[in-house]
Amino acid sequence: MLHRPPTRVPSAAPRRHRWRRATLARLLSGVLLCALAPLALAAPPADAPTSAAGAPAATAGAGDQVPGVPPPPQTGGDVTRKMDEFLQSLKQPAQPAESTAGAPDTRSLDDQIQGLKKDVVDLNRDLFVLEEELLFPSNTQVAVFLSMDVGQFFALDSVQLKIDRKEVLNYLYTPREVDALLKGGVQRLYLGNLKVGSHEVVAFFNGKGPNDRPYKRGAWLRFEKGVGAKYLELKIDDRQHKLEPEFEIKDWE
Amino acid sequence: MVERRIALAWFTGARAGAALGLCLAAALGPGQPSRAQPPYALIGQAAPDFALHAASGGNERLSEHRGAVVVLSFWSSQCTSCRTQLAALNRSLATYRSAGLTILGIGVDDDTARAVDFARAARVDFALLLDPAKVVGRSYQVDNLPMTVLIDRNGTVRQALRDYNANSDGLYLQKLRDLLNE
Repeated sequence: MLHRPPTRVPSAAPRRHRWRRATLARLLSGVLLCALAPLALAAPPADAPTSAAGAPAATAGAGDQVPGVPPPPQTGGDVTRKMDEFLQSLKQPAQPAESTAGAPDTRSLDDQIQGLKKDVVDLNRDLFVLEEELLFPSNTQVAVFLSMDVGQFFALDSVQLKIDRKEVLNYLYTPREVDALLKGGVQRLYLGNLKVGSHEVVAFFNGKGPNDRPYKRGAWLRFEKGVGAKYLELKIDDRQHKLEPEFEIKDWE
Repeated sequence: MVERRIALAWFTGARAGAALGLCLAAALGPGQPSRAQPPYALIGQAAPDFALHAASGGNERLSEHRGAVVVLSFWSSQCTSCRTQLAALNRSLATYRSAGLTILGIGVDDDTARAVDFARAARVDFALLLDPAKVVGRSYQVDNLPMTVLIDRNGTVRQALRDYNANSDGLYLQKLRDLLNE
């Protein structure tokens, strides 16, 4: 036989206080019941055909009577309508899962994630293009490219670029970048804006020349900037008959 | 009575001297707790890219090391503890190189020749870069030497160790292991 431990009633609480507490609890429960009654009436019953049946109660007109669904109460319309909408929004995502007979639909989730990633990449590309169009409009755009051929007599270390006697770039090349250039890559070295008219570009090439000696050469070009975009190319080439590198600035017409 | 006055004067002088000594030690002494530093502003941000000449020749660009955990160590030839720290970094590189660790030392000396001499004497297996114009030092907000910045495989600054003391190596290795395990 289990012996129930005696419940100890604090001696400091007299009977009158206990009665007050019980009355207060009854009063609170009554208030709560009154407050929750309209909400409980507004919510559809669990066995009622809802969004899965394709006839949500919230979307039915005020005068329509959906069979099996109690009519919404006339009072407190805003709250009940919001509640219905919330319940519908909770039930709507469950629809695709029911269509696959309760199997975990991880594949569709993966597809959704992939789709989102693709959207982000597309958006990023569009923003990049838009940014370039805004920052460098085609009527003021000047782009300088760099290409290198052979590189037997010159190991490129850095390029300093001046446009209209103002230094706009000083670029250091790592061995990987030099390798990429030697494999035929063309690097966009500089992108900027220039107004229409005559301009001057000067490029200094630093590196190691024949016999591994420090080698610094410059190239100079005066060009006319028209309405359209202007493209210039810095070319590093080997001059075989002189056994030395050659530097040239070419204007792409 | 006279002895009592002498004792009182001695006690007062000794107390003032001790207070002055404590203040000086707090301001200058290396063994005292470090000054409160503001939090490093670059933590959680993309590490600023740079390209610098190496003391041994060639150039290094930070963005080419994306995918590896990169440790940037800022040093100077006039900093006595920098040599100790570079040696400790070299030991960690020997251990964790195969796990994808790259270390770049960045010298912020004004005198390039002196920095090159220091780099040659340091005998480390990683690149010691030269930043005489302090462009990279400014972009990484270097306010103390030696200073170590840890960059994760995605190119985000994750840790900055600005106080070098006896416990720094252990803390550095712990943070480094965390990054390498990510």
